[in-house]
Amino acid sequence: MKYFLYWGCSLEGSGANYLVSLKPVLEALEIEFEEIEDWNCCGASLSYVGARDLAIKVLNARNLALAETQGSYDIVVPCSSCYIQMLKVSQEIQEDEGLKTQINECLAEGGRIYRGNLKVRHIMDVLYNDVGPDKIKATVVKPLNGLKIAGYVGCQSVRPYGEYDSVEKPKIQDRLLEALGAEPVPFPKKMRCCGSGLFMSEMDNCMRLVADILEDAISHGAKMISTVCPMCAMNLEVYQERINKAFGTEYDIPIVYLTQLMAVTFGMDLKKEAALDYNIIPPESILKTAVG
Amino acid sequence: MGSYDPSFAKEVFENVDFGDEIKMCMQCGVCAASCPLSLQMDHSPRQIFTLIRAGKREEVLGSQAIMLCTSCYTCEVRCPRKIPVIDVMHGLANYALKHDFVPRKDTANFGGKFWDQIYRIGRIDEKDLSRRYFFAEGIIEGIKGLLGFSDIGLRLFLHKRIKPLPERKIKGIISLRKMLDKAEKMRGRGGASV
Amino acid sequence: MDKNTAVYICTGCSIGDALDIEQLKENGTEDFTISYCKDHPFLCGSEGLDLLNKDIEAEGINTIIIAACSQRVNYDVFNFGPDKIVERVNLREQVAWSQPPKEEDTQMLAEDNLRMGCSKAKDTELPEPFQAEEAYSKDILVVGGGVAGMTAALDTAKAGYQAVIVEKEDRLGGFLAKMKKNVTLPYKELSDTGVEELINSVEEDSRIKVFTSSTVEKVSGAPGLFSVDITSNGDAANERVGAVIQATGWVPYDANKLEHLGYGQFKDVITNVEMEEMAAAGKIVRPSDGKEVKNALFIQCAGSRDSDHLPYCSSVCCLVSLKQATYLKEQNPEALSYVLYKDVRTVGQAEDFYRKAQEDGNVFIRGSVSAVGESGGMLYVEADDELLGEKVKIEELDLVVLAVGMVPRSRPEEVPRVKAPEDEKDADEDGMIEVEQDSGFFANSALNLEYRQGPELPTLQYGFPDSHYICFPYETRRTGIYAAGCVRKPMEIARAKDDATGAAMKAIQCTEATAIGMAVHPRAGDMSYPEFNMQRCTQCKRCTEECPFGAINEDEKANPLPNPTRCRRCSICMGSCPERIISFKNYSVSMIGNMLKAIHVPEEDEEKPRVIALVCENDAYPALDMAGIKRMTWSPYIRFIPVRCLGSINLIWVADALSRGIDGLLLMGCRHGDDYQCHFMKGSELANTRLDKVSETLDRLALESDRVQFVEIGITDYDKIPGIIGEFMEKIEEVGPNPYKGW
Repeated sequence: MKYFLYWGCSLEGSGANYLVSLKPVLEALEIEFEEIEDWNCCGASLSYVGARDLAIKVLNARNLALAETQGSYDIVVPCSSCYIQMLKVSQEIQEDEGLKTQINECLAEGGRIYRGNLKVRHIMDVLYNDVGPDKIKATVVKPLNGLKIAGYVGCQSVRPYGEYDSVEKPKIQDRLLEALGAEPVPFPKKMRCCGSGLFMSEMDNCMRLVADILEDAISHGAKMISTVCPMCAMNLEVYQERINKAFGTEYDIPIVYLTQLMAVTFGMDLKKEAALDYNIIPPESILKTAVG
Repeated sequence: MGSYDPSFAKEVFENVDFGDEIKMCMQCGVCAASCPLSLQMDHSPRQIFTLIRAGKREEVLGSQAIMLCTSCYTCEVRCPRKIPVIDVMHGLANYALKHDFVPRKDTANFGGKFWDQIYRIGRIDEKDLSRRYFFAEGIIEGIKGLLGFSDIGLRLFLHKRIKPLPERKIKGIISLRKMLDKAEKMRGRGGASV
Repeated sequence: MDKNTAVYICTGCSIGDALDIEQLKENGTEDFTISYCKDHPFLCGSEGLDLLNKDIEAEGINTIIIAACSQRVNYDVFNFGPDKIVERVNLREQVAWSQPPKEEDTQMLAEDNLRMGCSKAKDTELPEPFQAEEAYSKDILVVGGGVAGMTAALDTAKAGYQAVIVEKEDRLGGFLAKMKKNVTLPYKELSDTGVEELINSVEEDSRIKVFTSSTVEKVSGAPGLFSVDITSNGDAANERVGAVIQATGWVPYDANKLEHLGYGQFKDVITNVEMEEMAAAGKIVRPSDGKEVKNALFIQCAGSRDSDHLPYCSSVCCLVSLKQATYLKEQNPEALSYVLYKDVRTVGQAEDFYRKAQEDGNVFIRGSVSAVGESGGMLYVEADDELLGEKVKIEELDLVVLAVGMVPRSRPEEVPRVKAPEDEKDADEDGMIEVEQDSGFFANSALNLEYRQGPELPTLQYGFPDSHYICFPYETRRTGIYAAGCVRKPMEIARAKDDATGAAMKAIQCTEATAIGMAVHPRAGDMSYPEFNMQRCTQCKRCTEECPFGAINEDEKANPLPNPTRCRRCSICMGSCPERIISFKNYSVSMIGNMLKAIHVPEEDEEKPRVIALVCENDAYPALDMAGIKRMTWSPYIRFIPVRCLGSINLIWVADALSRGIDGLLLMGCRHGDDYQCHFMKGSELANTRLDKVSETLDRLALESDRVQFVEIGITDYDKIPGIIGEFMEKIEEVGPNPYKGW
């Protein structure tokens, strides 16, 4: 199995633990991947401030065009925001000839063209549908032995298209957590927004959102929250102390990427491969206790 | 007593990205009930749409709501009329900013710097973006802002989650800019959306 | 018929585990002449049925008592032809599944049930279908030549039957002919009304006879045997038909009553009907000066959903306004329509046309009108805008259209008055009183039925013909007469066509069933009919007054004149008759009376009370079965007897049961009142009224009135059954044992 891997800007910065853990996990599952040469930012959710819709679509079309000249693999995206931006444009191009022409007119300015042949997929989709929970389970050497984890899905990894999981009641992350030996706890806010890219500039408004999600997960027994989105991971983890100050709470719950949990259960190095030392709220002791 | 003035609705239908989609709104309010930040908004998305129909230009383009969208897509998946609410909100915000309304100052500032950076280097470099964001209001405000954020920044740095290297342009930055320029030119200040 | 009776007990479905079958065979059939009694572990299976069929053949069995599951299931399996009597005894849902196994009380219950079954089988005779002396007609009379009437006639003809249309106007078409365009399936855009094609196909069809400028002067007779007098352009004609469809349509709500909306005050305030006629005539202009219309406002629910005017929603006015806004847009692309609405009710797929009207840029305002006025030759409307939360004023309007609702043509302008009985308190000074809505004297003239209960279809509310609105939409309270289209309920074209098809099918079905002596809905297939022992009739008129279907006429001396083909076999007449002269071959006062006697009543010192529930077999009985299926439990001291309708309960049963020492009677039937659920409309209501008279009986016997109770049970109320029975049993315990025990 070979894919393009488009990891986006965040995974080179605040989401570095995602990328560090992702690469060895993919190798362990015999997934080959290739980076799109000279990729650019997807535009995420705030570009509208500076640009109209077409320019933002063109950003993504350029990445698609670059990939198309490089090969014909599916593009796998671990970052939810990158995923939805790129998926949206790739679908719109396939459905709307007029838009495709407009976009290609713009790409032509930089000597590019996108013919519309590539498929964009979320990493969860590939892990669940191409690799499958059985293979993942078979790769696990240190299962989590029923550790209670809240699988936080967030927004853009499934909404709005619901390509591979339900937009209202997603279950795939929970199935993968089960494959790792964890016990996924049900919690109603697993689809509630964390504030996303708005957190930085609308902190007062967004802290409440994160506090509610943390509260919900903890009150349902979670010892840890897993996620597959760098925005979710960042917002849920690094502001916990501020939230405690603002609301008089005492949150101290580790936020880990699903790929970090995979690396741990696959028996990989906790630092070099699972990148646990990247986490500000350390998950190490809980995980060590769980795997025994 | 208010009056109904259809001219603003016409302006929105014709000039705002996805503006004509609001024609289909049947005011059920599912968007408002689904929105994580609707309680913080001065007008829920549903109200924004009805205000557009009534012709309340100042209220709509000055509304905080159009820049408080987190792009979570909850409203969009639930809208029975399949209105791309997020695209409409972004379209309205973009239009408002171009017409000298500033619904949310900080987000406008941050989002502006965000796009600038994409245009300048083709990618987002988080540390550089924050620096530029905090210093947008001048050195003093910038230092205050950075200090206020230093706990977070420092921790991220200590945990290897801030890229140590200075910001770097993508190789094809010149051609990317040409593409983006062309796109903005095709749209213009207010051409019809697709 | 010489009966050769056998009993078959099924021991499957846990019946065998719950009961001592040998003891049941013995005790349950004592006192009855039974050739033999057998049991089988799986009676409805092929082996069980083989056994049955072989025995019937070999032993000449013609009366078969099946003691197994409820009569509501496997009725097709346990059907051995029209010359065999089959009696079902419920041992499963109401015994094995709802009572503890191998208990003495459970056993006694099963034995009583079997004895009742044996008793009933003994008294049952094979029905002989009614056959009139005259020849039956299978033609269908359609009154009204609008879209519903024409469609009904065409569908009748397509099915191979003859139809007769009577239309009062000089040409067919009804309101459809007055319309400019139609919006119909798939509700994406305007379409032609198609009225000319429809009229042509009616006129060209040799199986349809059309009378225009005609009215129905008189309908006499009964289903299969109707004689219709028609006045056509002054000439008299007569047609014999088997069934009737009334499709007399609607009239718009009178806008003169809507002065508060500016009607009559401003020329440019018009109704949706006037708008339609103007559009059909050519161009939509301002009536005041004939100038172009640019801005229009539609006021939805003009008078509708308003307790002072038309309390209901007509369900079509929203779609009509959207259509008319489209006319304006087509006439002038710059035209702008405002729609002021309470709720946009574009029913079903018509939602798509709402979408189109939105795409066209029409402005929808949710709220209510506070004022309509004029300023500088232009209209304005003030409204409370619910969605903006403020008062708004919409100005510079050329036209305001009032979307008025539909009134059934059957509804009279004023309630007719008739001479009141002498002791009537509510009579006016001239001794007159308003007729009841649910009588046949209320509605506007259309059919002129020669029925003792009045010339028109009884209505229930708002002047619409009464029917079981949800379950049996086309039925009316006159057998063989079906209402279709807007006279039945407000509806748009596509639905009126569907409605007409449904009514035509019902009408045809009625003529076919009637011709072989079969009952129509809801006892479809029943071959029995009421027989009157006229020697003992006292001319009390109860049967002729109480029949919900007006089946029984009267001669001058007040003797009942039954019309068996009008009869629905509910047996309400049987319940009404104080002389008990009305009976059916397979259902009679004495039959149920004997079943009551088949129940063993233990002595007082045994402390086993006995309560009988007379259960409506349409709703309450299936609810009981459902409770059994859900394995709910209740007192083992209650015995259930299904009845055709609570209205068929004759009070003698109550007196008989109580004088035998039965401790209490529970009457389980349908909800009555305006939202009744009675399959025979009036049955449960009548039972309730008659029950008031029971206290006299109880007084005479010196018994407490608490011993008899009426309860309403809907088909979905199964979960309430254990509670209802429990409460009643407690009450009976409080009152104490019936002192007549052992007499």
